[in-house]
Amino acid sequence: MALWVDKYRPRELSKLDFHKEQAENLRNLCKQSDFPHLMFYGPSGAGKKTRIMCLLREMYGSGVERLRSETMTFTTPSNRKIEVMTVSSNYHLEVNPSDAGMYDRTVVIDLIKQVAQTHQIEISGQREFKVIVISEGDELTKDAQHALRRTMEKYVATCRIIISVNSTSRIIPAIRSRCLGIRVAAPNETEIVSILQSTCKREGLALPVELAKRVVDKSERNLRRALLMLEAAKVAKAPFTANQEIPDLDWQVFLRETAAQIISEQTPGKLEKIRERLYELLTQGVPPNLIFRGLVEQLVNNCDMSIKAKTLEFATEYEHRMQSGAKHIFHLEAFVAQFMNIYKKFLSELVMTDDF
Amino acid sequence: MDQYPDENEEFELQYQDELELLEDLPDEFNEAPAPSTSKQKENRAPPLKDVSRLGNSTLGSPQLSQITFGASQLGTEDLEAGTSTGGLVNRRLFGTPKGPPVGRGCSTPFQRMPAIQELESTQLTSRGFDQEPENPAANQLQEVGLKNLNKRRLERDLFGDIDDLFHESYEDPMVKKARTEEQRDHEAIDKILELRRKLRESSKTLRKDDVSRLKALHDFKMRNLSYDIPNWPFLAIQRSDLERIYVRFHSEDYEQRQLDMISARGEVVGSLLGEAKEKIWQEASEIVLSRLEVEKDSDVTLVPTDSHTQPDRLWVDKYKPRKYIDLLSDEMTNRSLLYWLKMWDKVVFGKAFHSKQEQEAVTGEGGAAGGGANNQLNSFNKRTGKFESNGGWRQRKSRQALNTNVDALGRPMQKVALLCGPPGLGKTTLAHTIARHAGYNVREINASDDRSPEAFKLALENGTQMSSVLNADKRPNCIVLDEIDGAPRQSIEYLVKFISDGIYNKVKAKGAKAEHNVLKRPIICICNDVYDPALRPLRQVAFVVTFPPIDAARLAERLVKIAHREQLKTDFGSLIALAEKSGNDVRSCISSMQFFNAQKHSLTLQDVLNNNLGQKDRHQGLFAVWDAIFRIQRPRKTLQTDANKMDEPGQVTMTNMSVTTRVRNVLDVVHSSGDYERLTQGVYENYLQQKMPDPNFTGVCEALKWFCFTDTVQHQISRQQNYSVYPYLQYGFVVWHLLFATLAWPKIAFPTRGFELQQKSTNQRNIFQALCKGVTTSALGVGQGKTLLLDTVPLLKRILSPQLRSVAVQLLSLKEQQDLRHTIEVMVDLGLTFVQVKSQEGHYVFQTEPDLDALSAFPGFTGLSLPYFSRQLIAREVDLERIRRAAPKGGAPSAPSAAKKKASAAAAQLPNHLQTLKPKPISAPNVHSAPKQQLTKDFFGRITHKSSSKNSVEDAKTDAIVKSPIWYRYKEGFNNAVRKDVHIHELL
Repeated sequence: MALWVDKYRPRELSKLDFHKEQAENLRNLCKQSDFPHLMFYGPSGAGKKTRIMCLLREMYGSGVERLRSETMTFTTPSNRKIEVMTVSSNYHLEVNPSDAGMYDRTVVIDLIKQVAQTHQIEISGQREFKVIVISEGDELTKDAQHALRRTMEKYVATCRIIISVNSTSRIIPAIRSRCLGIRVAAPNETEIVSILQSTCKREGLALPVELAKRVVDKSERNLRRALLMLEAAKVAKAPFTANQEIPDLDWQVFLRETAAQIISEQTPGKLEKIRERLYELLTQGVPPNLIFRGLVEQLVNNCDMSIKAKTLEFATEYEHRMQSGAKHIFHLEAFVAQFMNIYKKFLSELVMTDDF
Repeated sequence: MDQYPDENEEFELQYQDELELLEDLPDEFNEAPAPSTSKQKENRAPPLKDVSRLGNSTLGSPQLSQITFGASQLGTEDLEAGTSTGGLVNRRLFGTPKGPPVGRGCSTPFQRMPAIQELESTQLTSRGFDQEPENPAANQLQEVGLKNLNKRRLERDLFGDIDDLFHESYEDPMVKKARTEEQRDHEAIDKILELRRKLRESSKTLRKDDVSRLKALHDFKMRNLSYDIPNWPFLAIQRSDLERIYVRFHSEDYEQRQLDMISARGEVVGSLLGEAKEKIWQEASEIVLSRLEVEKDSDVTLVPTDSHTQPDRLWVDKYKPRKYIDLLSDEMTNRSLLYWLKMWDKVVFGKAFHSKQEQEAVTGEGGAAGGGANNQLNSFNKRTGKFESNGGWRQRKSRQALNTNVDALGRPMQKVALLCGPPGLGKTTLAHTIARHAGYNVREINASDDRSPEAFKLALENGTQMSSVLNADKRPNCIVLDEIDGAPRQSIEYLVKFISDGIYNKVKAKGAKAEHNVLKRPIICICNDVYDPALRPLRQVAFVVTFPPIDAARLAERLVKIAHREQLKTDFGSLIALAEKSGNDVRSCISSMQFFNAQKHSLTLQDVLNNNLGQKDRHQGLFAVWDAIFRIQRPRKTLQTDANKMDEPGQVTMTNMSVTTRVRNVLDVVHSSGDYERLTQGVYENYLQQKMPDPNFTGVCEALKWFCFTDTVQHQISRQQNYSVYPYLQYGFVVWHLLFATLAWPKIAFPTRGFELQQKSTNQRNIFQALCKGVTTSALGVGQGKTLLLDTVPLLKRILSPQLRSVAVQLLSLKEQQDLRHTIEVMVDLGLTFVQVKSQEGHYVFQTEPDLDALSAFPGFTGLSLPYFSRQLIAREVDLERIRRAAPKGGAPSAPSAAKKKASAAAAQLPNHLQTLKPKPISAPNVHSAPKQQLTKDFFGRITHKSSSKNSVEDAKTDAIVKSPIWYRYKEGFNNAVRKDVHIHELL
């Protein structure tokens, strides 16, 4: 519990810092004996998981906080061993099936079904059902989601499923309809600032408001990121000052530099260098859609109004096409080349109009 | 000259025919090469006679070959001289005992006849033109044959195909004996005259000159009638003018044959100048001509067994090499394989095959016992004449990785030879020819046979352990496993086991049992692809012979010969083109030639370039394909017709640069390769290096669109297994070609980035997974999956980089200590630690485990900015913290131990070693009260219930210690006898 994100994480619904109304609703939900499947959705770093843990604690009491993590091995039909990390208490089981990649269906079938089929030994305790928390539910393949939908209906007596997703768009409608969706929006600026300040207060540090606001900006309203940034800043320079440097995410900086290079020069040689950088980003595990987004943001910010729309159009086109392919580098490079093309055309036209 | 033969000789001469008949009887069963006297005797017969005999289909008989040899000798006498030295060289090479140079042909180990010795000396002195093709070996053979048929058989077994052994004509020994110097001179002159005449004749017969025919007739007479004492069996007749004429005797079977022949074509005899005879003449002269032609060229001898008797035979079969020297394949390859096969001689034939070292030792003994096989090698070398120059093949042999060592049984270490190479180079032919040449009976198992493990086993065992009984041919078997790369894996595994099992059994049996499984026959395997996975076990134990492609010029030379023989009008250039077009595939070349021959009687360059014959689906290298994609083929006049350039049917030697042609080119090339995915990757990684025609990136964008399309299609195919869209993949290459191809030579690098990317990301993923696993339940706030990687890890690096001075922990400032504490806690929470590893430069560094630095590491960004000292410090502290956490939670350790102490105090139930000794409080009242309390104790020293007060119990205990026989006297120092629970928190 050393990192601030863990140390100052609210443990009870009543202690949540924002969306208090929603927290109240969740509490009321727990009070009833029945309880639907839930789907928490919202951007990363908005406190979905925190909320889920608070909810569980509300339901089962502090026993839920006695966690143990274990690795489970499954054998796929093709005789491949896959390992999945689970975190569980006596009352719930948290699993991230996307660890298993394309074999997540096996996980869903084996693990979830197995848990769902077993009844609670001591019903007198709290509830007659267990809770399965599926994190990163939008990473589930379609197959796994289809495997899940029947399980959700069949074993509704013994288990409830709470899915945590970033976006509901990648969840099949069948699942969506079976779950009560709870949107956890990212906290707004003032909320984050107040959280940061209260955190610093508890750490015995003084946080200038300007710094807090800059952290919020930089973290893109991602609370986790904001807290980590603040902590990193603290390690770099202990008593905070207003114009202190806030550490960046390396890959974002790298992406920004890449975009700047695209603007600076449009030659095949440059394109090849860009390709190297894109390769680098891909190997480091940055998802290609994030790369697309980062590039587009930077490029659009740095180019003329007349080609902004075109850039966006091409970006959407290539990103969409990328979804149906497997070699992301082709699509990324295609977008870069396309941008170079329109940018160059724009520049030459500019020169021509200047001449006249 | 005027000397009459004495009675003995006359007898021998007269009855020679009968003797020969005796000789010939066994010979007729197998086409034994051992020459017999009758054949030798007639070696001077004029061609006319031979031609007349041709009807008997004794084409392969020694007479003919001797004649032709004689003819060739005329022209190639210097070559002959060279060969003799070559014989010496080769003898050295092939490990033949280097006996006294016993005539070139004297290869047999028998050395009894003094005449030979004598002859040989004269021969050596008179080497040159008058050198006579005497062959003492033949005499000896004959003698042995007369005396001991069994021995003869042995010889034959040994020699196998001995045809090419004795290429020289043989001389009757009896005649030789009687010969004087003078006679020899005469004979030499005679011979010259005769050879000249023969040459003339052959040229004349070609022209079908009547005069020459008459002359030939005259010659015929001259050969059978003589005024001098001839060296053939004769009958002396006195003519009316008192001139003595010697009329030739012929053997009975010869007469018979002649008679048969005459009766067979009675009408020919009837009309001597009729059309039928004309035809025969033509036929015969053609044969003679071809013979002469072939023999003149001693390098490559085609055996024109029956060139026109079966005109519908496949040329491929017809011109198949039948002898070792006919082989077209690379000489080095042939040699090394032959050498390997000869290494089996000891096991198979019981004759030692002498390696070079041994050979030196044997030199003194002259032609020693094992000579047979070696001489065979020598004699064929003699013929080929040109090999002695590269006498160093032994040195070069190492390339072929032939292990020349033999095992305990005398077998070569590598029991199997594996021939590999593309089709049509003559691998099968080589294996067969060499096996026959070395005296084996070839048993072939190929893809058409059942090659299931059981059938394979049976075939192998039959082939190696049995020999045919019914067949008169008693040669040992040599198994040729053709097309082995198609055999099931189990069969190949069995083969490997079969080879190595022999060794195992031998070691086990050690002579006690006649081990049934020892491999005693050579096995030759043939495959196209040596890197077939199924062949891997075999490859390790086998003697791998890789076939280099045949030189196009060499192949064309051979084709020219065939064309000449078949009277196909063509020229060298077009044949070279044909050879190149077929990828130097001998078989397809000959087949195409036959095809053309069937159509018309000429083969021009145009034909070669136009037709689609002889073009097989050749495997194109990836680079060739990329080259074709990135390069526009120049229109050029060239004979080189690689598959990249498809000629328009109308144009012979010109390619054009029209888009149609280019598109077709690219499609063809891409088709031939087929590995679209790798090709795409190659194009992708190379296209930016090509010359860019467009400054505005329109071309690049277009190309990349196609890359995207290709990727999408490929993904769909692999996901849905829907191959119906597969054909669309190829058009991307066309687009890329049209966009980027130039006339310049493209620089193409092998695509490695894709693979590197894959490998690196796998590596990253593994590190990341290790990190995920290490995260403890108390640090779940860091997120999971991508969040952890993208948000937490980069910032974590900063968080874990506190600024610490390089001093001891105690000397750190309060803030530093707090930072350190914080860092350590975070690290333990996340399951991170520092481990000392040796870096590539050789010094030690502390690295996070799992390697946090490697994650999310971009060039130009610093990772953990911790100096070595801090890392060391943190590493230690992290370890301590881990131990602390693993220990029971704070407060807990002390409480139970205290309780335990109490318990032990109360009941003294604790085992002795866990008891805590307490200094006994020595107090006067206690001492005094002790005796009193003693009374209340029972027999075992336990306190009886009578003493009821708690105090007394306490006292009793102390008393018990006092009473106990063990006393510890405290001394300074260390005593192992006293143990105590120590908790980790007391030490930290």
